[in-house]
Amino acid sequence: MATYIIRRLLGLIPTLFVITVIGFLMMHAMPGNAFEALVFNPKIKNGAALYHRLLAQNGLDQSLPVQYIHWIGNILQGNFGISYNYQQPVSQLIGTYLPNTLLLAVTAEILILIISIPIGLYQARKVNGPFDVSFSFIAVLLYSIPGFVFALFLLFIFSFSLGWLPSQGTISASGANAGSFLDHLQHLLLPALALALPSLAGYTRLTRGYTLQIIVADFVRTAKAKGLGSKRIMFRHIFRNAIIPLVTQFGFDIGGLFGGAILIEQIFTWPGMGELSLNATLNRDYPLILATTLLFAVMVLIGNLIADILLAASDPRIRLN
Amino acid sequence: MASDVAKMKGEITKAHKAVRGRSPLQLAMGRFMRNPLAVAGSIILLIIIFITVFAPLFTHWSPTNPDIMNTDAGPSALHWLGTDSNGYDNMARVLYGGRVDLTIAFAASIMVMVLGTIYGGISGFLGGWVDNLLMRFVDIMLNFPFISLVLVLEAIFNTSNEWMLILVVGLTAWPGAARMIRGVFLQLREQDYVIGAVTIGASRMRIIFRHILPNTLSLLTVLVSMSVAGYVGLDAGLSFLGLGVPPSVASWGAMLNTYSDYISLSTKPYAWIPPVVMIVLTILSINFIGDGLRDAFDPQSRS
Repeated sequence: MATYIIRRLLGLIPTLFVITVIGFLMMHAMPGNAFEALVFNPKIKNGAALYHRLLAQNGLDQSLPVQYIHWIGNILQGNFGISYNYQQPVSQLIGTYLPNTLLLAVTAEILILIISIPIGLYQARKVNGPFDVSFSFIAVLLYSIPGFVFALFLLFIFSFSLGWLPSQGTISASGANAGSFLDHLQHLLLPALALALPSLAGYTRLTRGYTLQIIVADFVRTAKAKGLGSKRIMFRHIFRNAIIPLVTQFGFDIGGLFGGAILIEQIFTWPGMGELSLNATLNRDYPLILATTLLFAVMVLIGNLIADILLAASDPRIRLN
Repeated sequence: MASDVAKMKGEITKAHKAVRGRSPLQLAMGRFMRNPLAVAGSIILLIIIFITVFAPLFTHWSPTNPDIMNTDAGPSALHWLGTDSNGYDNMARVLYGGRVDLTIAFAASIMVMVLGTIYGGISGFLGGWVDNLLMRFVDIMLNFPFISLVLVLEAIFNTSNEWMLILVVGLTAWPGAARMIRGVFLQLREQDYVIGAVTIGASRMRIIFRHILPNTLSLLTVLVSMSVAGYVGLDAGLSFLGLGVPPSVASWGAMLNTYSDYISLSTKPYAWIPPVVMIVLTILSINFIGDGLRDAFDPQSRS
């Protein structure tokens, strides 16, 4: 198992390398750069000279291969550079923004699992019953509504109409319980729900499908013949087998959740990676663009890796291949 | 004598037709028409297409000519859904906006399928090291952060109109389609009728275009219908972020963008709920059609 994981980790390096090269080339293909606006700023005397000085200072006057080698050399030493726009080290910026996104994505993932698995199991137990049929229909409905639309409705209902939950930020600026755990939770609930709801339907469908496949297996019939209780069969025999492909799918979707978080963060003014990467691209903040692209790619790859490891753990044939 | 022969021929073909029964396509269409959700989805989508294409029949306001005497107005007999801060009639924006959203979704999905079929087809048909190399690149592009790619491509191509947005979506989303179509090509390449065509000396082009491609058509139809639904949401999401079509172009996402501030969201539901309903209805109906097509072309997938 350990050799398998190490082999997979080493296999990620070329992929990451190519992603950074493509990201780097495309970033420089975008028109304009972070300092060009200074030339046309009437309040700055001799803007052109300042512009060229800043270019030289940040190494932007060198050729692209030299710049890339310089950047990757710094990365290997753990130096992500200094953001042009925020005037802070990129690693420090990511250190403040990434935990917010992680919190949002992980909460959404937990919500997805604890809601969709029980529903899917129950649907599979009573196939074609009234609950199964009606929830299958609701699932298509949920699946068809984009996350940002959910976000708008949640905001409208729970924040503006009912006034139960706050509409923006991660904590309240003032008030009796500002900054408390409950306060954090209240701010987290709506964006996490908006992020979770569209995938929730998909996972319910998957749970139902996999459970139905396993419910007819021979070992389930044996367990029944042995006289085991239906609860025990459900959780010890069926659930354990049905959850494997589900968790695998989960790993593949981690990257997607991070991408989806960008829109949701924007709506709830949630200070996360979405805001950082959007601003970086709009301001041509090269060090920040590269760092966020790399980080998103790493997230997707880690998700895929977790999925593969779980799959290998459950199926030895994959490990040996 | 000659007329007798012609008569007999006519009778023979008539009898032939009666015996021959229905083609696989006709069978699939029959299954599709018996699926109530799929039929309902088709009807809703047709209605949406109808009211957006014939929008001038339903409102006399233009989505690009503002009524500057009535800016930021609430719903009234004059403007059923009110006007936005520029004086554009919201009803007209909703009706005409569908044109842009649907064009982008359909065109982008066709572009993705064309790119994916060419790339995946070459990869799957040739196999070997070419396939390995091409699929490596697909793997890398699938791992490339989607939103970053869209943002960067948008800056490069300067998405000032919907055609550039279609190009960006197409260039971003093709790898998934390419991988799926490659799988189908790999599978079909080993079929007996393809091996038969190879043995009688058919050229590669003939095998691809006469034998393999027609057999991928049903899968492509399903893929297109499924992806159109996704692109309606994607396009609306991008426009909502202010990264899609420019706000001056009427589209559902752009309308949401206009009303995305907290004050408008809480006080003007009459303005932002209609485009949301249109987006959701469109995606829902296309999903039902997609499910119906999948079941119709592959009845075994149902279980």
